[in-house]
Amino acid sequence: MSALTDLFSEARNSAANVAEVLMRGRGLRLGVTGLSRAGKTVFITALAQHLTTLANVAAEGRKNPLPVFRLAAENRLQAGRLAPQPDDHVARFAFEDHLGALTGPDRHWPQSTRQISELRLRLDFERRAGFRQGPSSFTIDIVDYPGEWLLDLPLLEKSYADWSRETFEASAAAARAPLAADWRGFSVSLDPAGRADEALARQAAELFTAYLRAARAEAYSLSTLPPGRFLMPGDLEGSPALTFAPLPLPEGHAIASGTLAAMMERRYEAYKSHVVKPFFRDHFARLDRQIVLVDALSALNSGPAAMRDLQHALDEVLAAFRVGRGNPLTRFFQPKIDKILIAATKADHLHHLSHDRLEAILRQATARAISRSEFSGAKVDVIALAAVRATREAAVRRGRETLDAIVGTPLAGERLDGEVFDGKTEAAIFPGQLPADPALAFRGDGLALPESEAEVRFLRFRPPVPNFGGDGKPLPAPHIRLDRAFQFLFGDRLS
Amino acid sequence: MTDAPKMRPRAFRLDELSPGAARDFVLEERPDAFEAETALLIGDPGERATEEAQAQGFLRGGAFSWGGLLLSSLGGLAAFAFGLWLDQLVESLFARSTALGWIGVGLAALAILAFCALIAREALAIFRQRKVALLHKALALAHEADDRDAARAKIGELVALYHNRPALAGARAHLAELRGEIVDGRDLIDIAERQLMPALDSAARQEIAGAAKRVSLVAAISPRAMIDMIFVAAQALRLIRRISQIYGGRPGLLGAWRLARAVGAHLAITGGMALTDGLAQQIIGHGLAAKVSARLGEGVLNGTLTARIGLSAVSVCRPMPFAALKAPTLADVAPFLFGDKGKAESAKAQP
Repeated sequence: MSALTDLFSEARNSAANVAEVLMRGRGLRLGVTGLSRAGKTVFITALAQHLTTLANVAAEGRKNPLPVFRLAAENRLQAGRLAPQPDDHVARFAFEDHLGALTGPDRHWPQSTRQISELRLRLDFERRAGFRQGPSSFTIDIVDYPGEWLLDLPLLEKSYADWSRETFEASAAAARAPLAADWRGFSVSLDPAGRADEALARQAAELFTAYLRAARAEAYSLSTLPPGRFLMPGDLEGSPALTFAPLPLPEGHAIASGTLAAMMERRYEAYKSHVVKPFFRDHFARLDRQIVLVDALSALNSGPAAMRDLQHALDEVLAAFRVGRGNPLTRFFQPKIDKILIAATKADHLHHLSHDRLEAILRQATARAISRSEFSGAKVDVIALAAVRATREAAVRRGRETLDAIVGTPLAGERLDGEVFDGKTEAAIFPGQLPADPALAFRGDGLALPESEAEVRFLRFRPPVPNFGGDGKPLPAPHIRLDRAFQFLFGDRLS
Repeated sequence: MTDAPKMRPRAFRLDELSPGAARDFVLEERPDAFEAETALLIGDPGERATEEAQAQGFLRGGAFSWGGLLLSSLGGLAAFAFGLWLDQLVESLFARSTALGWIGVGLAALAILAFCALIAREALAIFRQRKVALLHKALALAHEADDRDAARAKIGELVALYHNRPALAGARAHLAELRGEIVDGRDLIDIAERQLMPALDSAARQEIAGAAKRVSLVAAISPRAMIDMIFVAAQALRLIRRISQIYGGRPGLLGAWRLARAVGAHLAITGGMALTDGLAQQIIGHGLAAKVSARLGEGVLNGTLTARIGLSAVSVCRPMPFAALKAPTLADVAPFLFGDKGKAESAKAQP
């Protein structure tokens, strides 16, 4: 039965995909994901802003901001504009609001992604290579979704008992045990074979959610925390599909009907079929290219245990992708992701001399996933990126030592070196040095390290003061390697 | 630097100082590394011109054209006619005597063999030129994107291109060693350019200077305009073939045609932007020389033209773009055409 439904949903997917490709013309679906606070919203805002203003660059006599992006370097883009999106049941990415937040009088980083959203960009450009040269157009559908949802995809393969056991084991690790103590204590008092009780189930779910939320908090910055909707419930808040928790099931326990365990199991299955599967079917299985944004800096701030957790989460995330090199026919019926870019965001928070080390650390964190993807024919690249650059670089000389520092306005409440910032003062920050050997970043048990023990401390900065063009519209902010990301993600289809 | 004692994270406030207070540190603004990189990437129209010219000359695909169809069908007919004639010839030889017939067959076989060998050599030459042009493009791209893997692979190909040059043995060994180490893509390409290219560049420069000198001399003394026109054309053709050979190409007959087309395209594209490249000097030089004698003026003009052809040939034949090294200018290759100022400049350029 399950094989049949799978086949059926595959067929439906293919049909939907063919219909979409026929309607859309040349183009691709670009998935943008990352664990929360990785900078997805800022990335998409910058991408859309750059591509919609790129055609005016020459006319306004500005310098080309994207020299590595061949389409821009060769001056072949005629126009870029936002177009109505294809899926009517998905929220539109609120580009204008986010841009307003970044460039408004009280400039601040936009609200984070809470749900899936979509944005369609249409580019009119001159084709230079290929069968048909001359004017052409290309559609990029950007699909923005929380990375936490990706961590749910492995659940599809796991039974409730397996998931319970794994979650308990993970929560017993040194880094997590203190955070999980309340919930574990409560769970142990529950009897899986006891009568199903809604009040108990709700209390367990609440404590479990509190544990996940605490681990997510900035000081700890842990990453592997499925199920993802517990942290971002959206409109499912309070529904039975989100009111369950792992139970300490003994080995070989047979779940009898009417018990607490049976109720939990049913809800777990409901979560899978009502939350995870539709996401996989409607959005995830249709992507052509993918960028995974990673906020490695806050994990580095927290300590090696958080880095290892990030590594584990990225491994799971990247395992979820349906990668491989497709041919034009499979692209038509069943798209596969043939290029994945893993980007360490907020690269402007450290000096450019450290970017190579940051890339090396990220490469180390994703080494296994990269080799697996490359084996199946997909291309994977790792870069350090800043979609909006909030700092500039300078050297600070005191006495005989010179430090390579970055200068920007730290957010209100950020603290370092005995200073507490108010969000108005500029400061030169030396964030410390990343280890030359990337393996060192993963060695040790530190989590939520206090400043006195941490070797690095990355502050968050306010967005840069915006520049405005002749028409009063904000110009794209400076960036770091955004053009390289564009070239990698869709430059090859725009040649 | 990594073994130095770990430096702790530090913050330095930059708010307004109250009067009389002073900071205990100095903030030095640094030139922005990313802007420098951007400028590096945008600032080279010459490189785009070269790639365009290479594409027009060497990388033309087998696009359909009526002219091509006409030529190929006429060629096919001619081949038939030739075959028919050969057949008749051999048959009539056999009719006279068997021995004569066999000699005729043998000669025909030798002729066909030589023809096939020539064709194969032409094809190889064209293939090799194409490879050099593709290598140029790939290296330019890898340099631009700072792509380590691509740079490693392409530097390997570049080294293989010069495997039979004893003068470059040291550079080849060094690069082979370096390819295994961790060097950034862009740096690797720069190192390769500094190691391999200076010898070739200076050889090419000498060729250009020699040709320009000969051409201006012949133009200044030749009795007829016709003679120096033919001489200029022959010298130009010889010069671009020599330059192609210096950089590892092997121009055959058809290859030379493609090469000439690429050089022509490059001249046409760069002609528009040559104002910086001493065009004023050219005109002034020509004008002054023409005041002294019309012949002398002609000589200077022909010499400059040849030198420009040579420079274009260098651009399209070089298997890597000019990045770490400066592209030669007219004043570098033909200082004698511009008097002392040019000489002084070229002396500065080559410390």
